[in-house]
Amino acid sequence: MWEALTFQAGHNAAVVAAGCIAFGLAAGAVGCFVLLRGRALIADAAAHATLPGVAGAFLLGLALGLDPRALPWLLAGGGLTASLAVLAANALARGGRVKDDAAIAVALSVSFGLGAVLLSVVQALPVGGQAGLSGLLLGRAAGMAEADAWTMAAVALVALAVLGALLRPLSALLFDPLQASLAGLPVKALDVALLGLMLLVVLAGLPAVGLVLVVALLIVPAAAARLLTARLPAMAALSAGFGAGSAHLGVAISAAAPGAPTGAVIVLVAVAVFALALLASPRRGLVAALRRRAALLAAARAAAR
Amino acid sequence: MRLIARRALLAAPLLAVPMLARAQAAPLVLATIAMIGEPAQRLAGTAARVETLLGEGVDPHLYRPTRADIARLLRADLVLYHGLGLEGRLRDAIGRVAASGRPVLAVGEAVPRDSLIVEDGTPDPHVWMDPTLWGIAADSIAARLSALRPAEAPAIQGNLAAFRAELAALGSWARAAMATIPRERRVLVTAHDAFAYFGRRYELAVEGIQGISTDSEAGVQRIRDLVDLLVARRIPAVFAETSVSDRNIRALIEGAAARGHRVVLGGSLFSDAMGAPGTYEGTYIGMIDHNVTTIVRALGGEVAPRGFQGRLAA
Amino acid sequence: MSPVPVALPLPALSLRGLSVAYRTDAVLWNVTWNSPPAGLVAIVGPNGAGKSTLLKAALGLIPRLAGEVRFFGAPLAAVRRRVGYLPQRAAVEWDFPATALDVAAMGRYPRAGWFRPLPRAEREAALAALAEVGMQDVAHRPIGELSGGQQQRVLLARTLAQEPDLFLMDEPFAGVDAATEEAIVGVLQRLAAAGRCVIAVHHDLSTVPRAFDHALLLNREVIASGPAATLLSPENLARAYGRRMSA
Repeated sequence: MWEALTFQAGHNAAVVAAGCIAFGLAAGAVGCFVLLRGRALIADAAAHATLPGVAGAFLLGLALGLDPRALPWLLAGGGLTASLAVLAANALARGGRVKDDAAIAVALSVSFGLGAVLLSVVQALPVGGQAGLSGLLLGRAAGMAEADAWTMAAVALVALAVLGALLRPLSALLFDPLQASLAGLPVKALDVALLGLMLLVVLAGLPAVGLVLVVALLIVPAAAARLLTARLPAMAALSAGFGAGSAHLGVAISAAAPGAPTGAVIVLVAVAVFALALLASPRRGLVAALRRRAALLAAARAAAR
Repeated sequence: MRLIARRALLAAPLLAVPMLARAQAAPLVLATIAMIGEPAQRLAGTAARVETLLGEGVDPHLYRPTRADIARLLRADLVLYHGLGLEGRLRDAIGRVAASGRPVLAVGEAVPRDSLIVEDGTPDPHVWMDPTLWGIAADSIAARLSALRPAEAPAIQGNLAAFRAELAALGSWARAAMATIPRERRVLVTAHDAFAYFGRRYELAVEGIQGISTDSEAGVQRIRDLVDLLVARRIPAVFAETSVSDRNIRALIEGAAARGHRVVLGGSLFSDAMGAPGTYEGTYIGMIDHNVTTIVRALGGEVAPRGFQGRLAA
Repeated sequence: MSPVPVALPLPALSLRGLSVAYRTDAVLWNVTWNSPPAGLVAIVGPNGAGKSTLLKAALGLIPRLAGEVRFFGAPLAAVRRRVGYLPQRAAVEWDFPATALDVAAMGRYPRAGWFRPLPRAEREAALAALAEVGMQDVAHRPIGELSGGQQQRVLLARTLAQEPDLFLMDEPFAGVDAATEEAIVGVLQRLAAAGRCVIAVHHDLSTVPRAFDHALLLNREVIASGPAATLLSPENLARAYGRRMSA
């Protein structure tokens, strides 16, 4: 495992690690803003809603005579249906008759159900097995090609560039959207930009950790970072670091333990980091809280004597 | 009295017509995979209609049956499936068919137990890869078909004899062809562990990236180990499979290239599925022919480009 | 000699025929009112009178059925920098990772630019705004750890940092401790002395004549408006609150 951590475990392991680290970086950074904007649930719905688009793109590509397995084509389809699901959830909630979380749940279920049906259609086709579409459910990181890793790096670069440029407007938006709109910020456009980044990260994460788990890498590192810092730039940096670190360690562990699926191990590492933060955070951690409470009890009893 | 008797005598043959009609309607035999279905149709001839549930290119490890599939299974007069865990998600459906009293045969389980390859207590289900073993399996299929249509038993036995003869010819041709692969190149690397029986029969070391079932995820460590093998033994080719994604195989090729060893994609083999129905590669003989020809050519042996009977697609 | 025409100073906030409805209930109806150009103005009235709604609708935060709104004679989009809004404290997400100084600095961004790191001078201005409300000692404390009153003062610092000419405040004294109340009163007095206009929704009738120059008495419609000292007569209050009350 030490070899894998230091990128000495062979070319393939290095490619997988590089690609997953780039993805973890992007997911952590973007996830920080998604979490603070309260869009975690929508991110999950979007991820699940990529399935009908991916399967549909495969079927359409087959019908049109294109190469139906081309990853950019499949992910474009996934992006389309994910966007539609988010719009549908928003429209449902805005009508006022359905609450926010119910609207999201409806959009998620309908999309994923449709996706499962289309996936079974694909699997019954002659070239269905070759598509490897079911690998996009839980990820197929091990077979990552160099080109995929470069794409991840590009995605990470784009995400960091956009977040860096929009840091201040996004901060204002996240803290107080009303005040932001009063100040003349284009609130809708900023929200769309954030949503676009989220979708980009979700799509990039499909081949690495799969659509079921990608939301975990958006949210868990950000939640861990939140426990450890009280300033937004630091939280974003920490979250990106946790995402990248979880990916690095996760890939190394799954290389050493051959039976473990890479995506799931990465998520478990991220959760372990979160658990540590929960315990150890000086301001918000469980240990600190228990200590403060014990001190309080002692002081109250002393005062009562 | 005599009038009635005469009318009754005339009417008697009419009573036999429905019985004859029932005997003439060919029973429906449903096979799960084409490696069972195509030989079964050859054996049955006109005695039965054989249909195959899983089409060309479909992965039987992952296939989930639809309601229509289950209805087809329940309507068949005989269900032939492989067993040994191959059709992982069809177990319940096949169990229902057996429970309903219809005849069901696990073809893969009809071969002698001691000829099965067992790893960690789990039998490897890819029995059809060995034409010799598959000939034994054909015997049990023929026996069941004969039980279904006793009147046609002689014809079925005749078909079986012809099939066995062709299998024997295929087997010795394959053996000779595989023997021309240089000793140091006798390693077959494929997408998943489907070729163990093939390798055992033709004395080839086999390595799959994924395990016996395509349900398991490939591991980075496994790919690294295989890259080490490819580089150490200077193996010139690895092979994709028609029913499985070639993503991992391509990663393998990239990994070897990064270490300065050029590995080519030797071709796409038929592992868990055969070619298109109606083509030569859509027959069992054609499938084995294609695999042997592709492997021998890519690993540096000598074999006719159009294969066993000159019938391979160019 | 003919008299030299003198341009009258424009009202800070000018409403004409403003009507706002929530679904099918009219919350504000046909409100026409001009604020003075400067000074402290209180908007008072019973619960549900539409006081907060008036501020939000004027700012375009909620849609209006009809009516025109002008700030210093111009639409809001033209004079954004000159208008500051202090919302009710509950409207803000206090679990946000930011310090008091970070929040105060948000008031400087429109002036300083959204895409560059904040220059030192702007940081100093934000710190000065915190000092105006007595919060300079907790400048680096996370806002989630501040008390309610402290949070209210930090929001006020943000608005002060913006240096607007008109302040719209929604119940600035609601639920705050004595120290915060004192700080806010001090700020209001300084703003009035500097010639700014503050329009505040206020819940405590008794303090209006003392603390404010002008008042608007509202109950879905304009009941009365004028100098704070004399506006809250028993007759006006009866019309607004529906029974006899003494101020």
